[in-house]
Amino acid sequence: MAKRYAFLVDTSLCIGCNACENACKNFYQQEASVHWRKVYYMQEKDLAQPLRAPVSLACNHCDDPACLKACPASAYRKDENGLVRHDNDRCIGCKLCTMACPYNVPCYDKELGKVTKCEMCADRMAQGEEPVCVASCPMGAIRVIDLNDPANAQYADNLAGLPPRDMTQPSTRFILPLEQKQDWRDK
Amino acid sequence: MRFDTKAFGRRTFIKGGLAATAALGLGSLLDLGSSPFKAKEAGAKGDAKVFHSACPRNCYDTCSILSTVEDGVLKRVEGNKANTYTRGRLCAKGFSYTRSVYSPDRIKYPMKQTKRGSGKWERISWDEAFDIIAKKILAIKKEYGNTLPICLDKYSGNFNLLNYCVEGMMSSIGHTTRATGTPCWPAGIDAQTFDFGTIWNNDPEDMVNSKYMIIWGANPSWCSVHSMHLVMEAKKRGCKIVVIDPIQTQTASKADWYIQIKPSTDGALALGIAKYLLDNNLVDYGWLAANAKGYEEFFQYVKEKITLEWVAEKTGVKKEIIEQLAKEYGTAKPASIWIGYGMQRHANGGQNVRSIDALAAMTGNIGKSGGGAQYAQLQTWGVKYNVMGMKAPAGTTTEKDRIININDSAQEILAANDPPIKMLWIACRSPLTQAAEPQKLRKAYEAMDLVVTADLFMNPTVEMSDIVLPVTTAFETWGLNVSYWHYWVALNEPAIEPQYEAKSDLEIAMGLSAKLNELEPGSCTFPTSGKLEDWVAAEFTPDFLKQFGLSRWDELKQGPRKAVTGLIGWQDGKFKTPSGKYEFASETAVSEGHELLPVWTEEMATPEKYPLRLMSPHWKLSINSQFQNLDWMMDINGEPAVEMNPATAEKYSIKHGDMVRLYNEQGEIKLQAKLTKGTAPDTLVVYEMWLKDKDFNVNNTLKSMPADMGKKATGAPGIAFHDNFVAMAKA
Repeated sequence: MAKRYAFLVDTSLCIGCNACENACKNFYQQEASVHWRKVYYMQEKDLAQPLRAPVSLACNHCDDPACLKACPASAYRKDENGLVRHDNDRCIGCKLCTMACPYNVPCYDKELGKVTKCEMCADRMAQGEEPVCVASCPMGAIRVIDLNDPANAQYADNLAGLPPRDMTQPSTRFILPLEQKQDWRDK
Repeated sequence: MRFDTKAFGRRTFIKGGLAATAALGLGSLLDLGSSPFKAKEAGAKGDAKVFHSACPRNCYDTCSILSTVEDGVLKRVEGNKANTYTRGRLCAKGFSYTRSVYSPDRIKYPMKQTKRGSGKWERISWDEAFDIIAKKILAIKKEYGNTLPICLDKYSGNFNLLNYCVEGMMSSIGHTTRATGTPCWPAGIDAQTFDFGTIWNNDPEDMVNSKYMIIWGANPSWCSVHSMHLVMEAKKRGCKIVVIDPIQTQTASKADWYIQIKPSTDGALALGIAKYLLDNNLVDYGWLAANAKGYEEFFQYVKEKITLEWVAEKTGVKKEIIEQLAKEYGTAKPASIWIGYGMQRHANGGQNVRSIDALAAMTGNIGKSGGGAQYAQLQTWGVKYNVMGMKAPAGTTTEKDRIININDSAQEILAANDPPIKMLWIACRSPLTQAAEPQKLRKAYEAMDLVVTADLFMNPTVEMSDIVLPVTTAFETWGLNVSYWHYWVALNEPAIEPQYEAKSDLEIAMGLSAKLNELEPGSCTFPTSGKLEDWVAAEFTPDFLKQFGLSRWDELKQGPRKAVTGLIGWQDGKFKTPSGKYEFASETAVSEGHELLPVWTEEMATPEKYPLRLMSPHWKLSINSQFQNLDWMMDINGEPAVEMNPATAEKYSIKHGDMVRLYNEQGEIKLQAKLTKGTAPDTLVVYEMWLKDKDFNVNNTLKSMPADMGKKATGAPGIAFHDNFVAMAKA
C-alpha cells in the first residue's frame, strides 16, 4: 500500500541546536544560503508561557503543494509516497515556486539557475535509510511517519505562527512544546 | 513563527551528486564496523575511505567522528555509532567541519606582517619563519642570559593531547614565562578539590539512572547536546528535571521545573536547601558518619546563621519554592546535581560550588549510580605527556618557569620586569577575543619585540601578531582525544593531507627545534624529527591501556573505547582529601586563604553607575572563538545581539531590533536588542563568539576580576566573567 510520508517534529524534544540543518548541508555539501532544513523559534506571544521553543522545519510535502501548482514547467510532482519531488532537468529557474510556497521552502540557486528543495532524502529512504536530519538529530526530535497509519492522527497538524493549513495542506505533524512549572525571581 | 525572508541562493550540488552520495549511503558506512577502510570493500564509489576522527574542541562531548574521504577530499563527517555517548550524532559545529577545512579564509602559508595590526602581510617560507623566530629566541637568550622574556599563552583551542607539545617546545628552549590557569572552570575545580580531593563526575551515560536531577547553571542543550539527550531520556524514565539558572536557557525550557535565581547567589540557595534538609531530618547521617569530616561544624553554621527568609531575600527564590525543592531533592533517591561552569564564573563562584557539593554529601548522593555533584573529571587524562616532558638545554641558568595569571595576562605581561616579556607565542587560543581587558592586552602586544601566533583563521589575535603559522585541522594530523566529562578515548587519524602549507603544532615544534639547533647546536632539546603516529604511541602507559581495556594502543584504530573502571565517582569512598573523607571542613581551603566551611560569601555588589549585569555564556554555534566565523554559521546567525527583558527595554525606550550600546569605563559594544522574558530585568545576556568581519567583542567591558578560587588546582584563580556590569543606551 502506498505511503504518505510526513515529518513529525517533536518540539518537546527539539533544542534548536541546528545539528539537523548542518547535517543536511554536510551530507549534500551545500552552499551557506541553501536551507533544505532550517530551525525557527516560536514567538513568546504564541506560547502559553515564556519558553525557548525551537522548531525544525524542512519541506512540508504538502497535499496541495503551492510550488507544484505554480510551476509552469511541470518540474514538480507528488510521488507515490506523498513526497513532493522536484526535477532539476525540467526546472527553468523561473522562481515562481519560491514566491508561491508560504514556507519559503524552495531555494533558488543562482549559480545553477534553478531551484532545489528537500526531498526527504527519497533516495536514502528507498534504501531503508532515514533522512539525514532524522539520523543526525541528537535528541531524536525529527521522525518520519506515515499519515496513512491512523495512529498518526494524534499529532498536531499546525503550530501557532505557521500559515493557515488550508493554503497547501502541509503534511508535517508536530508534538507541541510541554508546559512547565516556572518560578521567576520575585525581586 | 518568524520566517526568515532572506532569499535563498547559491549551491553547487547537482542531482547527479545526490545519486552518487546516496549510493555510498550514510547508513551503509555505519554498518561497516569500525575499520576505516571498508567502505571501498563494501562497494562504495571510487576510492572512498572512512577515517576515525575525534573532535578536539574544548567541549564536554569530544565526539567520535567518521570522516568520508574521496580522492583525497574530505566529503563529509558523521558521528561514530561505536561511541555510545555520542550515538553516531554530531552537533551543528561538528557537522560544519568541511567548512573550516576548506574555508577560503584559512591561513594557508606562514606570513609576516610589516607592522602589527597593519594588515600588510607577506607570504614567507617555513624556513624563513623558523629563522626569524629562532634568531629572536637566541638573541633574547644572549641579551638576558635566559629565556624568561619569552611568554607562552596557550589554552584549549585544540585538546588533542599531542598539542601539549607546545608546552614541551617551550620547556625545550629553557625556562620561559607561562600564562597559567584557565578562564573556564578553575573555581569549581578548586571547590571540588577541597571537598572531594579532586573532580570526578559519574559517567554521564549513568545520568539516566537518576530519579531527580538538578541542572544548576549548565546549558547542555547548547554546550553538550549528547548529554541533553541523556537528560531527556532520564526524564522519560520518570526523573524530574529541575533547572536553576538566572537565564531561562534552552535547557531550562525543557525542564519540568525552571527556577530563576539572582546571579551569583547560588550558594545562598544551597544553604537554604541545607537548612530545610536539617530541619526536616532529610540527612543521611549514616553516610556522613562513614565518609565525611566536619559536617557537625557545617550543620551548626547552617542552623545558627541561615534562615529561609534570608535566602529568599538574597536569591529572589520564594521560601515555599526553596522548601519544595529541598523536600523533593532530599527524598528522591538517587538524586543528582549537575553543576555548570557558568555558575562558578563569579567572585564567589567557588564557594557557591562548595555549598552545592554539601547538598550531595548531606543526602548521601555521592559515590552512587544516579547521584553525584557532577562537575567534571580528569580521570581519563592519565597519558604520559611525553610531548611536554622536555628538559631545559645544557647551560640553562634559571631554575623554573615564571608564572603569570592567564586571567590577568594583559596586566602581568606589561608589569613583568627582571626580565621583561619581549616575545609572545600564542597557540590554541585567541586572547584578543576571549580574554578580559582586550584593550590593555592590545597594548601588551604592541610592547612586544615579536608575537608569533599559530592559528587557522585571521582572527583579532593573529591581526596583532608579527608572524602567523598555519596549523592543521584535526582531519590533517594524528591525535588522541579524551573528554573531561564522558569516559571515551578516541584516536584521531589523518583523513586528508595537510592543506596548503599547514603544519600541526607538533611539526612546528620539531621544525623550530631543527632551526635552533642548526643556528646554535644544543640550544633546544625538542626532537627534530619523528613520525606523528609514533608520538601518539609514546603517550600510552600501562595504566592508561588497562583503564580502557586495551592490550595495545593501536587497537584504537578499530574505533573509540570507553573506560572499563572508575565510571562512578568516589564509589570506593576513598576521597583524595588529606583526611581521606569528604571534607565539609577543609583545612586545605583555609591554607589557600578560603573559608573552612561552605559558608555564604557575598556576591559582587552592582555598581550604581553600571546597573546592568552583562552575562556572556556560551553560544550554540561556537566554542569560544571557533566556528561562528564559518559561512554556514554566519548564515544562521550573522549579527551579535543582546537579550533583555521587555521591562528593561521599555525603561530605556528600546524596541526589539534596535541597536544599543553597552558600556562602562573600560569599553563598549554595540549590538541589536532582542526582547525576551527569559532573562531578568537587571540581567543582559550576550553570547560570546567571534563573528566574521564584525567589530564585536563581548569582553570589551570585562575586567580581570578574579573568581574566588582556582589557584590551588590550576595555578591561578578563575575569572568572574559574569560579574561584568554595564550601562545601556540606544546606539
